Amino acid sequence: MYMQTTHSHHLSLHDESILYTLSPQSKILATLLIVVSIAFSKIINPFQIISHALIVLLIIKFSRIPVKTYLKRLTIDIPFVLFAIFLPFLSSGNNDAVFTFFSLDIYKTGLLEMSAILFKATAGVSMGIVLTAVTTNIEIIYGLQKLKLPSIIIAIMSFSIRYIDVFIDEFKRVRISMQSRGYIEKGIKTLLPIAYASGAMLIRGYERGERVYLSMVSRGFNGVIELQDREYNNSNYLVLLTLISIIVLIMDLQI
Amino acid sequence: MSKYLEISNLTYEYPDGYKALNGISFNLDEGDSLGILGPNGAGKTTLILHLNGILGAMDSSIKLDNMEFIEDNLAQIRKTVGVVFQDPDDQLFMPTVLEDVMFGPKNFGFSDEASMKNAVEALNMVGMNKYQNKAPHHLSFGQKRKVAIASVLASKPQLLVLDEPSSNLDPSSRRELIDILLSLEISIILVTHDLPMALEICPRSIVVNGGSITQDGVTKELLTNDKIMKENRLELPFGFALHHLDEE
Repeated sequence: MYMQTTHSHHLSLHDESILYTLSPQSKILATLLIVVSIAFSKIINPFQIISHALIVLLIIKFSRIPVKTYLKRLTIDIPFVLFAIFLPFLSSGNNDAVFTFFSLDIYKTGLLEMSAILFKATAGVSMGIVLTAVTTNIEIIYGLQKLKLPSIIIAIMSFSIRYIDVFIDEFKRVRISMQSRGYIEKGIKTLLPIAYASGAMLIRGYERGERVYLSMVSRGFNGVIELQDREYNNSNYLVLLTLISIIVLIMDLQI
Repeated sequence: MSKYLEISNLTYEYPDGYKALNGISFNLDEGDSLGILGPNGAGKTTLILHLNGILGAMDSSIKLDNMEFIEDNLAQIRKTVGVVFQDPDDQLFMPTVLEDVMFGPKNFGFSDEASMKNAVEALNMVGMNKYQNKAPHHLSFGQKRKVAIASVLASKPQLLVLDEPSSNLDPSSRRELIDILLSLEISIILVTHDLPMALEICPRSIVVNGGSITQDGVTKELLTNDKIMKENRLELPFGFALHHLDEE
């Protein structure tokens, strides 16, 4: 009845990176601060752009994430890229066309906006990729708890991580049992049984939620879920990189 | 022996009007174990949910160690009565095994050190100590069931209630489970279709059918009475005979 569970959503890589041993709260905070300072940097300021690019590259190097894995995960950047490539044609500040491309005007404002989005999105996504590669799901929740995120959000996140596998496995079993009875998924007309199955899954999920809650109440649940304390190293390099990233933003130095 | 658990004329109706329990009465003495047998849909699980005040909490027809089932006593009652549910996935929700096993003791006011000590002890009892830092969803079904039992034992209950503990277990996991339960020195209420298991663990059993208790007696006598067995949709596994037990 029960198959081996899915591990598909686990992003963390069990490697030797020093970032792996750092406390998740410091990693989350550093990621957030660096991403925010990148987001506020000006694309026309080469000092900021180069410094931030160097910081991100350095962190990617520290993470020891394989290039192939990194590039594969970078594909979530594609929607930003698609959006950005239209900007040079559409966004005109003072009708400042730089040149014409097959009778379409290309504007300077749009070009700058495109470069800004491409750089900031890619850098931000890269930071996210590194964070999830060197931090397990549980550690991210633990870190967020240490950063004093409301306990209800922590609870919702940890339940999602705990039960997504159970849910995926249940749905897989439902589909296997459908296929075993001759069901073939082909075209929009055959989606109806999947819709029914999804509805049934929703009800099962609801009922499971109720059972989980009952079992928690049985063990004296009173609204607080507390994770065990864990031990981590601290890194001055990470603090330093984060500080540099913020200072670079504030200095606003023009080279 | 004093009456430890007293249930008299317990009746429960679900909000949709379905009467799941109808005039249930039985007592349990301290230190005794009891099997609750009966077909699917007989009301066994509903009965379990009353034993620690999850359902019908304001019902005065249940008393545990002379404690009434009122709001003020619920925390103490839930600490005393540990319930292991049927699906371990419903019970294990924390990120790691150890944290899950510590969840109960922490809620019941044990200090962090005591909770940790209890949790390690409980995991030792079920032989799952080396899985402390594993995520529950990476365990096999039998391992999950053992951890679910540990997660209840860690709160040091006086009465352990198990809902179908042998379901979906392979024979050797089932055997390990029976040995664990036999090694515990607390009262056990065992709700099961696994009649040989009930026979091994509980000298006395009640049979629930259609929301009422139809039989209350010595487990072996119930299982050897063909009429009782048929009437209550109970059946021993094929090829299983009880007569050789008499010779021991």
